[in-house]
Amino acid sequence: MDFRLSEKELALKEEIRKFAEAELPTDFVRNTLIDGEFRDFEFEITMSKKLAQRGWLVMSWPEKYGGRGASLFEQTVYEMEIAYWGIPGAWMGISGIQWVGPCLMMFGTEEQRDKYLPLIASGEKDGVWCTCYSEPNAGSDFASIQTRAVKDGNHYIINGQKVWTSAAHRARWCWLAARTASNVVKKHQGISIFIVDMKTPGVTVNPILNYYGRHHFNEVFFDNVRVPASNLVGEENKGWYYLMQSLALERRSIAPTIYGSLKWILEELASYAAQTEYEGQSLSRNSLVRAKLTDLVIDLEVLKIFAFQLAWQISQGQIPIYESSRNKIMGDDLMKRGAITGAEILGIYSQIDPDSKWAKLNGAVQGAYLGFPGQAIAAGTAEIEKSIIGQFRLGLPKSY
Amino acid sequence: MDFSLTEEQDMLRISARDFLAKECPKAKVREMYKDERGYDTQMWLSMAELGWMGLIFPEEYGGMAANFLDLVILMEEMGRNILPGPYFSTVALCALPLLEYGNSDQKTNFLRQIAKGEAVWTFALGEESGTYKASDVKLRALLEGTNYVLRGYKLFVTDAHVSDYILVVSRTGEGNSPEEGITLFIVDAKGPNVKMEAIPTIGGDRQFKISFDSVVVSKDNILGKIDNGWDIVNFIFQRAAVLKCAEISGACQSVLDITSSYAKERVQFDRPIGSFQAVQHKLANMLIDVEAVQYLLYQAACGISSGSPSPWQISAAKVKANEVYQRICIEAIAIHGAIGYTIDHDIGLYYRRVKAAEFVAGDTDLHREVISAALGL
Repeated sequence: MDFRLSEKELALKEEIRKFAEAELPTDFVRNTLIDGEFRDFEFEITMSKKLAQRGWLVMSWPEKYGGRGASLFEQTVYEMEIAYWGIPGAWMGISGIQWVGPCLMMFGTEEQRDKYLPLIASGEKDGVWCTCYSEPNAGSDFASIQTRAVKDGNHYIINGQKVWTSAAHRARWCWLAARTASNVVKKHQGISIFIVDMKTPGVTVNPILNYYGRHHFNEVFFDNVRVPASNLVGEENKGWYYLMQSLALERRSIAPTIYGSLKWILEELASYAAQTEYEGQSLSRNSLVRAKLTDLVIDLEVLKIFAFQLAWQISQGQIPIYESSRNKIMGDDLMKRGAITGAEILGIYSQIDPDSKWAKLNGAVQGAYLGFPGQAIAAGTAEIEKSIIGQFRLGLPKSY
Repeated sequence: MDFSLTEEQDMLRISARDFLAKECPKAKVREMYKDERGYDTQMWLSMAELGWMGLIFPEEYGGMAANFLDLVILMEEMGRNILPGPYFSTVALCALPLLEYGNSDQKTNFLRQIAKGEAVWTFALGEESGTYKASDVKLRALLEGTNYVLRGYKLFVTDAHVSDYILVVSRTGEGNSPEEGITLFIVDAKGPNVKMEAIPTIGGDRQFKISFDSVVVSKDNILGKIDNGWDIVNFIFQRAAVLKCAEISGACQSVLDITSSYAKERVQFDRPIGSFQAVQHKLANMLIDVEAVQYLLYQAACGISSGSPSPWQISAAKVKANEVYQRICIEAIAIHGAIGYTIDHDIGLYYRRVKAAEFVAGDTDLHREVISAALGL
């Protein structure tokens, strides 16, 4: 056992720090949690391209697809640092880098890989993807999706409605789950994955604003959308398996990301508390403040180890069973506690709009406070994740 | 980074688990509650034969030359089985500082004895205040002629009644800070003027008040340097905190195993109760807690093994372990229902030991303060 980062990983950390200091304005508003990445899209894409030029954007991909074959430990360090510095543009609409690319490498055709992977790796707008999974009647019970794809010669015709689709309004491509068979024993058996060009006639994107009025996700309608049969990913009706892979990949990067953003917030809160006077002494002398920040830092350390343990496990060729669920539960819970404690420490200043000149800590606490309830639902609620641990790690009977 | 254990470490864990499952079933734990000594002397000798006493001593002192992480792995298994007896006080609290700070005579004499299972040791720090501060060390050692004379008393000394030697934290001088002027003495536990009185505890472990009524100790029995003993206390705290975490980690794993098995077997409303989310999600939380303790523990232990202990990582592990041990036992009893509240059920054995573990090598508040200071608060 060894919990130390390698020289290479430490050097990467340092390079990212220099990059952030050179490229980000000092008054950069850190509220990405509320509106994802898509508010100042032009700036974000500029940053994506810079990250691509550095060889960081898809660092763990093989060279032939635009990566540099970095280890999953380097990838994890990179994700932590990106989130720590709040560098935008690192995710290209979230889907592309995290799971569309890796899934195409595992299950796609050579033609699909050659066409789509370099686009994602370039950091250009044409490399932005969205993922259409959830539907109005298929949330946690995701196998109940009703969007249909019917084969018609060399095409599939797609009809249905998707919802909570992050980045659909920015995406050039869609990673879509649709039903291709309904005469099946179990409902998850008849699902397939398709690549859809968002410019295809019949695709309509409507914004859904979150409770803070920000545009992160959308509803997407498919009305007789014709998709070439060559856009089917892997085998027909095997989509559930690819989906589970994609969700595991998505959940993997949640812990490093939360770790990085919360680490920055906790460090800033500690120095804010040290500099703020309260009842005649520094707020950092207050025993409640000390205890709460300390407990958060301990659990943040746990989250960091969990993140690296999962990276280690995957790089050993082991298939994670419950570990991404564990990490997601831990991360979401920490972000909630961090946001609430942060708001308590900021006191009356916690109610200030994150974009305002009055906001403390570049709006990061309010961003987290407004963002965590949504983030905790995305990619699997705590209830779903705990049932996964119960069933697949502890061997308990299925609970739903 | 590397999260794998070596083949030897896996072997150590398996052989320890097998040995303890056979030699230290819960019936034995219960029997030892009532035993005058509180542990099985035969088992103690068998443990010595397996090399457990001197696991991390160099071979010249009769040891196995294993590393600190190996000891952690062994002690997780002891915690899993609630091994009764003075292993912790002998090895974690006394042998490790002897190895680090003892002079060559002390190491040769004492470590060999310990390795063979021929000596039991304990550590005496706490006094009336119940804190861990140097300023609260009131027991005085005065130089009279060529010897020191100890006067005062210590509280919460574990397994003192079966100990051969006591490592006593004493005040020998006044310096610029309370940490200066502290000295550790090796005292013959069975010598004249050492009096013991049992302090009954809820854990079934053995704790004592020890009075030192003018106990004469030779200068040769100073551990380390005169007046510089607080560094040794800190050394003991760090190692012992991690090793207590190891016992807690093993105990928590066992509590989770027992409880998830029960949730699969116990049927209510025609279904195993583990199929209810109210129960299943508690168990999922318990699993995350168990893994959090285990990884913080291993991280702290690896720091020590590699020669660069991190005080705040050690404290993080102890805070977490203290909290999780209590929480997991309470949840386990709740999942069991009334049966978990009975003397015949094993869960209670673990719950009753929560407080005994919590106050070893610094309580939760002390360790939180280490982290707060590291954060610049």
